[in-house]
Amino acid sequence: MSDQLTPILDCRVVVERGAFKLDVEVSVEQAEIVALVGPNGAGKTTLLEAILGWLPLTEGEILLDGRVLEGPGENKSVQTHEREIGMVFQDGLLFPHLNVMRNIEFGTGKSLENVNRLLTALEISDLVDRYPKELSTGQRQRVALARTLATAPKLVLLDEPLGSLDVTGRAVARKLIGNVLRKTGAGALVVTHDPADAFALADRILVLENGRVTQYGSPDQIRTRPATKWVAELVGWNFFEANGTGSLARLSNGTEIATAHSGLDGPVVVTINPTAVALYREQPAGSPRNSWHCRVESIEFVADVARVSLVGPFDLSADVTRAAVAELGIDTGSAVWASLKATEVGIQPLDG
Amino acid sequence: MTPQLPRLLRLAAFVAVAVVAAPLFSLLWRIPWSELPRLLSTEVVADALFLSLLTSLAAALVALLIGIPIAFQLSRMSGLPASTLRAVATLPMVLPPVVGGAALLFAFGRKGLLGETLDNAAGLVLPYTPAGVVIANAFVATPFVVLTIESGLRALDPRYELAAAALGASPLRTTLRVVLPMIRSSLVAGAFLAWARALGEFGATITFAGNVPGRTQTLPLAVFVAMEADRDAALAMSLVLVFVSLVVLVSLRDKWWPAR
Repeated sequence: MSDQLTPILDCRVVVERGAFKLDVEVSVEQAEIVALVGPNGAGKTTLLEAILGWLPLTEGEILLDGRVLEGPGENKSVQTHEREIGMVFQDGLLFPHLNVMRNIEFGTGKSLENVNRLLTALEISDLVDRYPKELSTGQRQRVALARTLATAPKLVLLDEPLGSLDVTGRAVARKLIGNVLRKTGAGALVVTHDPADAFALADRILVLENGRVTQYGSPDQIRTRPATKWVAELVGWNFFEANGTGSLARLSNGTEIATAHSGLDGPVVVTINPTAVALYREQPAGSPRNSWHCRVESIEFVADVARVSLVGPFDLSADVTRAAVAELGIDTGSAVWASLKATEVGIQPLDG
Repeated sequence: MTPQLPRLLRLAAFVAVAVVAAPLFSLLWRIPWSELPRLLSTEVVADALFLSLLTSLAAALVALLIGIPIAFQLSRMSGLPASTLRAVATLPMVLPPVVGGAALLFAFGRKGLLGETLDNAAGLVLPYTPAGVVIANAFVATPFVVLTIESGLRALDPRYELAAAALGASPLRTTLRVVLPMIRSSLVAGAFLAWARALGEFGATITFAGNVPGRTQTLPLAVFVAMEADRDAALAMSLVLVFVSLVVLVSLRDKWWPAR
């Protein structure tokens, strides 16, 4: 295996399309799975198509395993079919006139051993004689992955590989895809709109918003320190823009939130983990400075957790246990007190 | 259930079909059925039939060879350049075939722009030869190939080509192994239409290749001549042309203009 410090993909991609500008730096390590998340229109598919060489770069450089595919010094860019980058499309895009086996063999030389291993790993050995139209969505997706991996690419791009599967199919396919990808040792860049996929599958998550990277880190970093409103909502966090003075963050409506930080000065972003918000029927006695009188807007249950949406001086979400909801006896429209320790208030500089 | 058409429209359709079918019916009415074997086996008819089959097939092949590259090029163009190229490539479809034949003479005639060079360099003379029949037929048949195949290419999701490239296939391999097989119904439709058009060709052929029995006299030309001399022979040959055309159209059904 080559040096861990050399990323398999190292690129800066700038693509301008009318008013939209994509300007992204990404690196993917060997055998690493990077999830690419972001709101619709953020430029996720554009980024994949640029890396693949389907869209010309306005500016930037693409290095794959140290080889320059496209860059300022190169007057000619390497063509898509010579890039050693594979792509799995959302709808699979299997060739309809070829059966499963011929689809999978399409890009391979004669490495049938590799093909057989993939057929077994992806549980599609029984389907080799079928034509794409005779396959289910999930089967088509797995055949598409096998077809791409059979060419032994150095980097695999996956555009919403689980997008067209139902919930139960997703969990199984996610696990299968993750296992197979890791075994190949190729780097992978996976576009997904489902945070569950990103957190379960990826070593790192890249957040793309309006053509820019707003956060790039491990799932834990993303989960515990969301950097933007969109990420915060993605992971279920509360997120507010505020003005900091000393240890206080003041929202635009005047509400003050006490923090454990000091020396705040100017615009900041306040993040609040919904699990840190405590709910009471009566105004809590004693210390918590951050307590607000709220009304319950809605309660949603996910497994054992109740996500309580509150309307008060500002909108706030709280995650409490199912048991706590029963104990408090709250329902939509109930009045509650929400409180929060100053140490649980996250502060980030406002940028981007 | 499909909603019923208004009674008036159904009546109009019935009348229209009758009008269209009347000449065909009249032709069949007049055919001397018992004489048919004898009429179709005279030397003039047999020669014309053989020449027509040979030249129309060759012309369909030439039309494919010329039309496919044009269709590929057109499918990648847009705006005014595309409209202009498409107009030029499909002009022979609207042009009176006689004009097309004349234009071919100015190009490939002995004194023509290219013909003189061809004659001097390779001793190749096209006018008034069977090869000239093929050229004239291909000239009028090519637009059918261009239009059907371009339409097939435009209906094909371009991401299939991206998928093939991402699997390491060169543009040539992608075209041969993915694009052409995926538009095969357009290819078949284009080939059949070109062949059918070539089989019925008259004006460009008589202008560019003449009307020499056994050499450049195709079936339509033989029918034209026979209308003066031997009506029964003309009817018999017409029957052959009607039969072939119907078979082609019925077997193509609505495939000739693939849905976009």
